[in-house]
Amino acid sequence: MKFPRHHFLYFLTPCAFALTGCGDSGPSGSEIVVREIPKAHREFKLVDTSRERFRYQTREQASAQNEAAQLGGGPQLVWDVPEGWEEKPAAMMRDINLGFGPNGEGECYVARLPGAGGGLAANVNRWRGQMGAPALTPEEVDALPKKPLFGQPATFVSVEGNFSPGMGSQETKENYRLLGLILSSDAGAVFVKMTGPRELVDANAEKFDQFTSSIDVSMN
Amino acid sequence: MADSTPEQSSPSFGKLLFKFFTSFKLATIVLVLMTIVTLFGTLAQVEDGLHSAKVQYFHSWFIADSMGGLPILLPGGLLLMLILFVNMTLGALIKVKKRWKGAGLLISHFGMLMLLAGGFVTWAFSTDGYMAMYPGMSSNRVESYRNWQLEVMPLTEDGKGEKAWILPSDELQSIKSNESRSYESPELPFTIVVNGFTKNATPIPVSAPIAANAPGKEIDGFKLSPQKPSKEAEQNLPGAYVEFRPEGGGDPVEAILWAGSFRFDPRENPMPFTFEVDGKKYGALLAKKSWTVPFEVQLDEFIFERHPGIATARNYESRVTRFEEGQPEKALEIKMNEPMRYMGYTFFQESFGPSGSQPGDEMFSQFAVANNPADQWPLYALIVTGVGLGVHFTIMLISFTTRSRKKAPAPTS
Repeated sequence: MKFPRHHFLYFLTPCAFALTGCGDSGPSGSEIVVREIPKAHREFKLVDTSRERFRYQTREQASAQNEAAQLGGGPQLVWDVPEGWEEKPAAMMRDINLGFGPNGEGECYVARLPGAGGGLAANVNRWRGQMGAPALTPEEVDALPKKPLFGQPATFVSVEGNFSPGMGSQETKENYRLLGLILSSDAGAVFVKMTGPRELVDANAEKFDQFTSSIDVSMN
Repeated sequence: MADSTPEQSSPSFGKLLFKFFTSFKLATIVLVLMTIVTLFGTLAQVEDGLHSAKVQYFHSWFIADSMGGLPILLPGGLLLMLILFVNMTLGALIKVKKRWKGAGLLISHFGMLMLLAGGFVTWAFSTDGYMAMYPGMSSNRVESYRNWQLEVMPLTEDGKGEKAWILPSDELQSIKSNESRSYESPELPFTIVVNGFTKNATPIPVSAPIAANAPGKEIDGFKLSPQKPSKEAEQNLPGAYVEFRPEGGGDPVEAILWAGSFRFDPRENPMPFTFEVDGKKYGALLAKKSWTVPFEVQLDEFIFERHPGIATARNYESRVTRFEEGQPEKALEIKMNEPMRYMGYTFFQESFGPSGSQPGDEMFSQFAVANNPADQWPLYALIVTGVGLGVHFTIMLISFTTRSRKKAPAPTS
């Protein structure tokens, strides 16, 4: 049986097109090369700290942004504080800091990090580790339930156990529960974490959902 | 893939090789393998992204893959297309009997070879990058989508630099995260030591809980946290631990360099890590690999139209002026499907920004800038092949009708 030769076309066209679009130019090799910088690109922004260079907000920027936001000049986070909860003073790395419970032993905060913030699985397992729970496989992490945060599906974490917050604290709090949401993308990661005695967290689980659904960005 | 020739009694090695490479069976096997590779490569785009799948399946000599846990070794697209090129050249153009009847097929095979050759030239010699600018800005610099290089430049006190010492991207990106390599230049008073390069990373303040799991060293309150490389390679933001060791001794300067310090917007100036050696200020940063075109393009106006009531783009186009030394300036429009072609470069209207911009916001225009010597070859190849097939079908039709007439019985009276 003969194969009609012109049928090659059907195979060749996609394959040859697949070879396109790979090249790059500019300096190459294993040695340092010296090049003049084009005139339009000779200015650099000098910053004092790594924090600025890595695009983390400095305190000065944060207060300037808040001021501008209050004057209607930029986006700001808005949220509803659930009944019985109270706002706590702002803390390092926390955009929203809330407390609840008769003695304020429950806490709930929102934090943001640039990039993927260390990755979804690493953060889920870090939280589970703090509660003494075994780590999950990436497949198990992917299978965790989702809840909305900023209108996006965020990974919902619920763990019970003995809570060791770390960060220099040696204390272990028994019979605790952690509820959390992680929204991780290449553009940035948002964490909402609630911890407290198990019964107190059980009683406030609905308020956690109510709080997380209320978080939004206001453009004024 | 040509007609077979009479067998020789004791064929030499050269003849055997010629027979092998002109074999029709070889062409069939290569085509079957190409189908499999195309299938695998297409499916891999879902998991690995377009660029990665293209490199692994079509720009490779061999492919190591697995199916249902079983390892598979396949010839890569590059190898298959090379074999097919040799097979077709020897078999369909050289060995085949030259007859008028086969003229159409000869032409169409030549077209197919042009298509393959065009693919190869594009793979080997083309460049692609982008140029983004706001109205009023001009540039001759094209930046790579995916490749990053290490740049070190002497800076003035107000942050201006004229020359850059560049560690090229292919060298920088070949450094593993646990590997150290040193680089020197006679004009620099220090040695540059790269202590690990990570393809995608985020600097994390050590005060953040997740920093406890980051493997690298703490420098200035930060650690570099490796991230899973993104499916779309252009979204990766690499990072590196770098050390500058003064030639005359003294304490080395250590830094974390992160691609996010470069720029996300054409108006931003890159933020280098700054340090002093021998009383002179230097800046160091991870910058997109870049190259220049032999003319300058100025964006005069960016026209962006949205669908009524929604933010989705309906149409966007750029009015530009092209400047070239010794030539009159030329005003042009670059639209979707209407690129600017000049001196071997093609400027396509690619996208716009910044993301999330609202009606009334000032926007920048982004051009894809390609330099491909074989840019139009696929079109020419398809025309040649089409003409060849047209000639072949015409010859076949004439031959068929002539035969039919001869065979038809004479009318009886």
